[in-house]
Amino acid sequence: MIDALAGKVLAGGRLNADEALLLYREAPLHLLGQLAHTVRQRRHPEPIVTYIIDRNVNYTNVCVAKCNFCAFYREVGAADGYVLGFEEIFRKIDETLAVGGEQLLLQGGHNPDLPLAWYEDLFRAVKARYPSFKLHALSPPEVLHISRLSKLPVPVVIERLIAAGLDSIPGGGAEILVDRVREHLHCHTKATADEWIGVMRDAHLAGLRTTATMMYGTVDTLEDRITHMMRLRDLQDETGGFTAFITWSFQPEHTERGGMEATGVEYLRTLAVARLVLDNFDNLQASWVTQGGKVGQLSLAFGANDMGSVMIEENVVRAAGASYCMDELEIVLNVEGAGFVPKRRNMHYEVLGDPIVRERDVPRMLTLATARAEGDDSRPEELSQYEARSRQEKERRAASRPS
Amino acid sequence: MAAQWETWTARVAAGGTLTNEELQLAAASPEILALGMLADTARRAQRGRVVTYLRVASVDPDQGIDAAAVAAAGEVRVTGAYPGREAAEAQLARVRREAVGRMVTAWSLADIEAAGEGALPGVLARLRAAGLDGVAEVPVDRLKSPGAAVAALVEAGFLAIRVTVEKAGGESRLPLLEALQAAAAAGPVTAVHPLPLVLNPFRPTTGYEDVRTIALARLAMPASVAVQVDWPRYGPKLAQVALTFGADDIYGVPAVDAAPDGPRRGLLLEVRRNIEAAGFEAVERDGSFARSASQAV
Repeated sequence: MIDALAGKVLAGGRLNADEALLLYREAPLHLLGQLAHTVRQRRHPEPIVTYIIDRNVNYTNVCVAKCNFCAFYREVGAADGYVLGFEEIFRKIDETLAVGGEQLLLQGGHNPDLPLAWYEDLFRAVKARYPSFKLHALSPPEVLHISRLSKLPVPVVIERLIAAGLDSIPGGGAEILVDRVREHLHCHTKATADEWIGVMRDAHLAGLRTTATMMYGTVDTLEDRITHMMRLRDLQDETGGFTAFITWSFQPEHTERGGMEATGVEYLRTLAVARLVLDNFDNLQASWVTQGGKVGQLSLAFGANDMGSVMIEENVVRAAGASYCMDELEIVLNVEGAGFVPKRRNMHYEVLGDPIVRERDVPRMLTLATARAEGDDSRPEELSQYEARSRQEKERRAASRPS
Repeated sequence: MAAQWETWTARVAAGGTLTNEELQLAAASPEILALGMLADTARRAQRGRVVTYLRVASVDPDQGIDAAAVAAAGEVRVTGAYPGREAAEAQLARVRREAVGRMVTAWSLADIEAAGEGALPGVLARLRAAGLDGVAEVPVDRLKSPGAAVAALVEAGFLAIRVTVEKAGGESRLPLLEALQAAAAAGPVTAVHPLPLVLNPFRPTTGYEDVRTIALARLAMPASVAVQVDWPRYGPKLAQVALTFGADDIYGVPAVDAAPDGPRRGLLLEVRRNIEAAGFEAVERDGSFARSASQAV
């Protein structure tokens, strides 16, 4: 049966859920990799592996969602809760531009004290200062959160964010698109599976390109992961709006859920199966930030054609225990060492050129930056211009008002 | 090349081996998964589906010895550089008192050789008489003659011989493979650790390099030799993937996992889970490669 399914894949046939599950469960690892690599070569005949130089900025860690797999969030009113100021974000953009980056991946917690106007003002301010700089921002649950706060329909929120400068939407918050799993993870209230898909559909219809993700390795079964991939494939058939798929394993350290991380072999199997199932996705990223550089590089033999982002900064995965770092030079060396040609790209996966490190000196970056320096508890002045929704923030403002 | 891989795979599945010329062709091929499949086939034919792992207690005799770690370990390893024969004998005497019934290993054979304390078999015999059960590292890339070094270990009466590599050798693995083969031909080598034990943080080896080295070592070594990967140095993810490229022994699992909040037993579960998730059977062993009577975790 495995041989027959391998033959079907090699002949260009589309796997159904049962067939994909059988391969996922029973196909030998190397065979899965070879099939995934063949499909990847069919889609990308040139031996190019792309990557982007951008920065993962988390504008706030305050979040009301309380997903039990997250080690990054802080409750409203927590002493170490933060919101980045516009000036801090501009400084991060300057640093990103200095190393050849041209985009921020901007995501954050569901902070009740940040209304739609804050996002609009931030995006406009970024675009006014850096007109060609791209904002890959606000995963579907964040868009839903803003929609609920503002009492505006999702399509209207997306329209206003685009008008303010939003360029594309990252696929975060998908976890596993099965509500039973989402209920266990305490993330169904931030977005059900249908709601996540719905926001992506609205974004695609509004002309935005987005990515899609999958975080596996909690309470999900192999069947759940295949269901997740099928939902993505269906929406991609409908809209064609996804640029890429990124999967990673749950990082348990410091989380309420805890437990053990899925293994490296499970990652490679999952990636390879995703390449086979998601036959309408052009790009699959290697998640070196969760798997490390070595398995990240090996991902290129298991269906990945993109090394993701140089990142510069990362906060969410680090909070859960992963501390891998690869600067542009190391990504380039890993791509070349695997027999591919490294190329810089933008969020639309258009090739921008050769590595920056081959054109000019760029300082080595052996650790990723964080959102804020340790002990920095400053509050941005502009926050007071926006209506506070939480009791804690209202009380804080009242207490700081001159009597 | 596809037909070539199939021919080789059929041969190693039947218990055959590759010639050195074929090994060179395999080493030069960019087809990492075909190489992995070949090495995995060879490993299953030669060694079955068992992956052994060894808990090691690293002890500094000058800093005191953790009795709990020693009790949990299959091997007690003296850390630090070779201090010269007299100091080494004194260290062994201290460790031996605490490590009753445990295999005690220490030092690098290259350092012992470089100390120039006389003929190597004689020095090794005295260390063995002082309580040393095994030389921890036999780095073929640093020894004057790997074959002669293994012969000296055999002459001194060492039974479990573990051959290692100290530094990454660059693109060509052939000199390394030849050195490993020379060592294995000189005596009953029990295991090889073909990945470098000294890591360069500014130019770490890549995942491709590591699994390629593992696979080629499996193909180059006789069936009697285990191919190891060091758990703390290479980490769970690479170590696990290495198992699917021909490795069949995990070395150096810490005997006690001293997490910041106290010791935990999750580490052993993690080791076994990684082995099993790669499709193998996990079996604990001791430093002499005898399988542990207790599989309790």
